[in-house]
Amino acid sequence: MLATRAVGLGPSLRQTAFKPARAQALKNIVRTNFAKRMIQTERLKPEDAVNILNSQRLKRPSSPHFTIYQPQLTWIGSIFNRVTGVALSVLLYGFSLAYLFAPSTFDSEHVIEFVKGLPDAAKYAGKFVLALPFTFHGFNGLRHLAWDSGRFLTVKGAYSTGYAVIGATALSTIYFTVV
Amino acid sequence: MSVLAQAARRLPRSCLSDARTFTTSVTRFQAEPLQKPVLNKEFKIYRWNPDEPSSKPTLQSYTIDLNQTGPMILDALIKIKNEIDPTLTFRRSCREGICGSCAMNINGQNTLACLCRIERDTKDTKIYPLPHMYIVKDLVPDLTQFYKQYKSIQPYLQNDNPPEKGEFLQSQEDRRKLDGLYECILCACCSTSCPSYWWNQDEYLGPATLMQAYRWIADSRDSYGAKRKELLQNEMSMYRCHTIFNCARTCPKGLNPAAAIAKIKLELAAD
Amino acid sequence: MSSSLILRSTIPKSLASRSILGVRQAGSVSYKYVPGGPIYKGTANDPTPFPPSSRTHGSYHWAFERLLAAGLVPMTAAAFVTSGSPYPIIDGLLGISLIIHSHIGFDALLVDYVHPRKFPIMGPTLTWTLRATTVAVMVGVYQFNTNDIGLTELIAKVWTA
Repeated sequence: MLATRAVGLGPSLRQTAFKPARAQALKNIVRTNFAKRMIQTERLKPEDAVNILNSQRLKRPSSPHFTIYQPQLTWIGSIFNRVTGVALSVLLYGFSLAYLFAPSTFDSEHVIEFVKGLPDAAKYAGKFVLALPFTFHGFNGLRHLAWDSGRFLTVKGAYSTGYAVIGATALSTIYFTVV
Repeated sequence: MSVLAQAARRLPRSCLSDARTFTTSVTRFQAEPLQKPVLNKEFKIYRWNPDEPSSKPTLQSYTIDLNQTGPMILDALIKIKNEIDPTLTFRRSCREGICGSCAMNINGQNTLACLCRIERDTKDTKIYPLPHMYIVKDLVPDLTQFYKQYKSIQPYLQNDNPPEKGEFLQSQEDRRKLDGLYECILCACCSTSCPSYWWNQDEYLGPATLMQAYRWIADSRDSYGAKRKELLQNEMSMYRCHTIFNCARTCPKGLNPAAAIAKIKLELAAD
Repeated sequence: MSSSLILRSTIPKSLASRSILGVRQAGSVSYKYVPGGPIYKGTANDPTPFPPSSRTHGSYHWAFERLLAAGLVPMTAAAFVTSGSPYPIIDGLLGISLIIHSHIGFDALLVDYVHPRKFPIMGPTLTWTLRATTVAVMVGVYQFNTNDIGLTELIAKVWTA
């Protein structure tokens, strides 16, 4: 009886108890036996709960991030700061290593000769490509130093200084490219 | 005609149009159709079902009439769940920006769905769960790690010399230092907007937790400030912050975790 | 309840879970903690642990990085003003400072993206490669500043070439 109550078969059993039809009774016997099997439970230890959870966790996908996040001055500027810094540092490291291992090829005379031989367009392009990261990284570095000393630490401050850095970068890049 | 429908008829039109229509209320069902034109908007919502773990997450599209929907994104989500697709899963509770349950990424920004207005145009709105989190289902991320990190900073008052009588006293000036810190509802919008947290969330505490760390460092009644600061003296827990400012930019409560972290860094440097 | 029923209900389950996970041992189950993975250390009620405290990796590192960066600004200006003078001290100082600044920057990159806890082989390899490269670069810059015309003068001359 306990089992039938557990699966809610009580009412139907009670109903059919008054019906003489043997077929119905037989059906009920089958159903109750079947129901018994349905309520089979497994014995689980407490640590199994963690295992079940962990097996589910392993299937979980990681939600998308930079591909769906709105491009904002905040993090795009930060990435640009890192990229420009890396670019300049790679140049410094590259030239220094080149000079270390082949001082006769990469000494100042050869480098200057090489640049002199370039067409004007390449010279201006080269200056632009060098001046842009240098000025941006420099001005944005000042912005970071201002933040680190406790200034402009608001969203408004971050944006106004961000636009100031972009403006200063544009002007100084043009200046250095033309000079 | 039911009493409710009669009552609704007697209301002026403007009142009817203002009524919240996100529930399947009897009133709306039986009232005369509103005269407002249909303003359809498409919502593209991130879906993933743990019962079919092998299938990849997808964006599912739902179109609803904005003139039959409440003003907020959460209203739209509830309408979709009630009327179109009951399997759509998301967390929500207070619908007024104080519980932090409905934090999600709406049109590329992390915010609370209940505080985010639906833009009344015909462009589609994309809704994703909080970025770079493991997804339990649809818009529900697993925040276990986030809560474990919050617990790690011991977010409670610690003082070995409680006052002999009564309670801790605090000057108004000292109390003001906690303004802008204690209001955090731990919705995780800021932490999951932070690229540093995306890459290193197993070790980096993230803006929400760090701002709460500062909330207890700054509290004049707490005497464990030095110990709290010492815990952050390593390269991962706090110094993965590169002052990107995504946290302050996205906070739906208008708080400023970036400034709080900058102040911790200054205090640690002065030690 | 018969024993055959128990068998029937447990055998497919253990088979199923073994096939899904591939690593599951009958009886004892262990899920490996992978940094950044979906399995966490301890239960949901355990706080995350802190790495050991070290001011060299904490506030000293931070303050040194800021002071050096702040110093680069006047140093760069001074180096260009005095460039071409026979006293390349500022040039040499700038070279060393720029390299340390770059090294810290590269190192932050490695800590952010290829930390040894996540990349146990590539992380340390890259860290030591960076250290070795930085030393070599130091030597290279020193030689260029002493044997050749120096960094700032090179830049100035290339710029007007």
